[in-house]
Amino acid sequence: MKMIMTIFRKELLDSLRDRRTLVTMVVVPLLPFPLLIGISSRVTMSQIKKAQEKVLRVGVLATQTPLNFRSMLAGREDIRIIDLPTLDEGTALVQSDSLDAFIAFDPAFERAVTELRSGGVTHVFKAAERREIETDRVRKIIDAYAATLREARFKRMNLDASIINTLNVNEQNLASPKERIAEVIGGFLPYLFIIFCYLGAIYPAIDLAAGEKERGTLETLLTAPVGRMQILLGKFGVVTLTGILSAGVSIFGLYIGIQQVREIPPELFQTIMSILELKSIVLLISLLIPLTVFFAAGLLSLSIYARSFKEAQSLISPLMIVVIVPAFLGLLPGMTLTEVTALIPILNISLATKGIIAETASPWLIAEVFVSMIALAALSLYLCSKIFGRESIVFR
Amino acid sequence: MITVHNVSKTFKLSREQKKELSDDEARKTVDAVSGVSFECRPGRIFALLGPNGAGKTTTLRLIATLLKPSSGSITVSGHDAVKEPLKVRAQIGFLTGTTKLYERLTPNELVKYYADLHGMEPGHFQKRKEEIFSLLNVHDFANRRIGKLSTGMKQKVSIARTMIHDPAVVIFDEPTVGLDVITSRSIIELIRASRDAGKTVIFSTHIMGEVSLLSDDLAIIHNGKLIYRGAYKEFQSHMRSDSLEEEFIRLLKEARA
Repeated sequence: MKMIMTIFRKELLDSLRDRRTLVTMVVVPLLPFPLLIGISSRVTMSQIKKAQEKVLRVGVLATQTPLNFRSMLAGREDIRIIDLPTLDEGTALVQSDSLDAFIAFDPAFERAVTELRSGGVTHVFKAAERREIETDRVRKIIDAYAATLREARFKRMNLDASIINTLNVNEQNLASPKERIAEVIGGFLPYLFIIFCYLGAIYPAIDLAAGEKERGTLETLLTAPVGRMQILLGKFGVVTLTGILSAGVSIFGLYIGIQQVREIPPELFQTIMSILELKSIVLLISLLIPLTVFFAAGLLSLSIYARSFKEAQSLISPLMIVVIVPAFLGLLPGMTLTEVTALIPILNISLATKGIIAETASPWLIAEVFVSMIALAALSLYLCSKIFGRESIVFR
Repeated sequence: MITVHNVSKTFKLSREQKKELSDDEARKTVDAVSGVSFECRPGRIFALLGPNGAGKTTTLRLIATLLKPSSGSITVSGHDAVKEPLKVRAQIGFLTGTTKLYERLTPNELVKYYADLHGMEPGHFQKRKEEIFSLLNVHDFANRRIGKLSTGMKQKVSIARTMIHDPAVVIFDEPTVGLDVITSRSIIELIRASRDAGKTVIFSTHIMGEVSLLSDDLAIIHNGKLIYRGAYKEFQSHMRSDSLEEEFIRLLKEARA
């Protein structure tokens, strides 16, 4: 154990003095959450505000627009009415973004309404993502107009307007705020934690095995009176630690990111902060430990096999897809932790993390994930030790 | 004391190596070292001379327990290299020509690391470090990162690393390759000093001058087989050519025939 610690301390010191390791271990995982949350929330809030406050340019047919609809529009400060002669002209102006919407009533609209039939209205709009709010505002005006017509019709027929309601639905959503949030971010968070675990372990794994081989320091290290397993465990400890630290730093980054956004509703903010409670973080990190052990052993095996730093990079880089695909599958709707998915590496961590965030995960399934990942980590470490013990690979 | 008895080492050929062979030579393995036997005694310098690819590095790696022999036996200070590799490693200091050090550590940290790996007591380590650092003038740059040192300084640190645990056996693999005259001189002095301190010294080289300058005993290796083994003085007295270099080439030609 003393020798393993000696090697571990040296490798850690060596790694921490390497700028590239520090960047992949600290800077890369720390920045995404504050940047993503900070920038996206500010941009989104400003876009929403802009769309809500904007004076909309609404075109109508000069001759066929009912007077009561026209006066309804005219009474609003957030609408500017533009009279146009034809539907085609209005459509062309919406297409060229000169109008936000164009509303054309059929020539027989008023007669149809009087005869208790449906009157035709054409609502022309161009709703892409950022125009959705503006379109919705116009849609609400049309709905409000329809409601006034309906009310007038019921009055004329001496009917109570409430008879149209056949159901009085009392909706009770029993999903906790955490569960609702887990649906939105619960898949996304483990995806990022898994990626950072992997990314954080890559560089030290390459540097401490293939890098040492290339620099020739491994040969002198192997002439010291230390067993290969001890050397491997010392290196392996550092690779695992950097992977865990990367994930830990990304969680800290999430905390900072959430803190800096003031626009989050208090209920949502408190729910997210409760996800970041010590208990949840400890559980998340302890799930990530066997995963990082698995990553560290796999990465070190490939790095030991490689002749040079460059060869190790070319062997390891394509593996990113093997990590991303199962982590991404955890994001899909309907994908849940079951007896079967609990056995699929990476996907199981993704789903278990989602379950922990939502507080819906069964303790038995979490235990199954733990056990299967520990078994896998032990197996990958055993295979790594076999590879490190083969002189044809070490002196390839 | 090193005893190498009838040692062979066979390597499997890689796919690339197999491709380079002609159809006549088609085989799956190569004998890097074949039936090699010799003895290196304390207080003497043993030179292993041979052209590139002759099997010098493989032989030294076998002694240093970096590789396991396919057959035969090696003992270092009475310990079997296969059965007791850790005891063998505790006895040896291993130095190669190309400086191989951790560039992000300082000489102080590097030497302490290797002392810890050799299980040295702190008191003994401090005393030994003082001796070696004073002898090699390492104190001036002992706290600077190795990556920022000159080649000569790095070589001094390499020597300090090799000798910190006061090994009974010192192995030098082409120790002066790629070094300038002054740095090479410090290595040659170290080899001599090790012999004078009663250590067993083995070094590999393809430089004739180093052999004549240093060796007490000599073995010439070619294609993995020893083609000469004996005391250097004896070798000199039986030379059929005018110079060591010509005699070496003559022996190689004879072996090929």
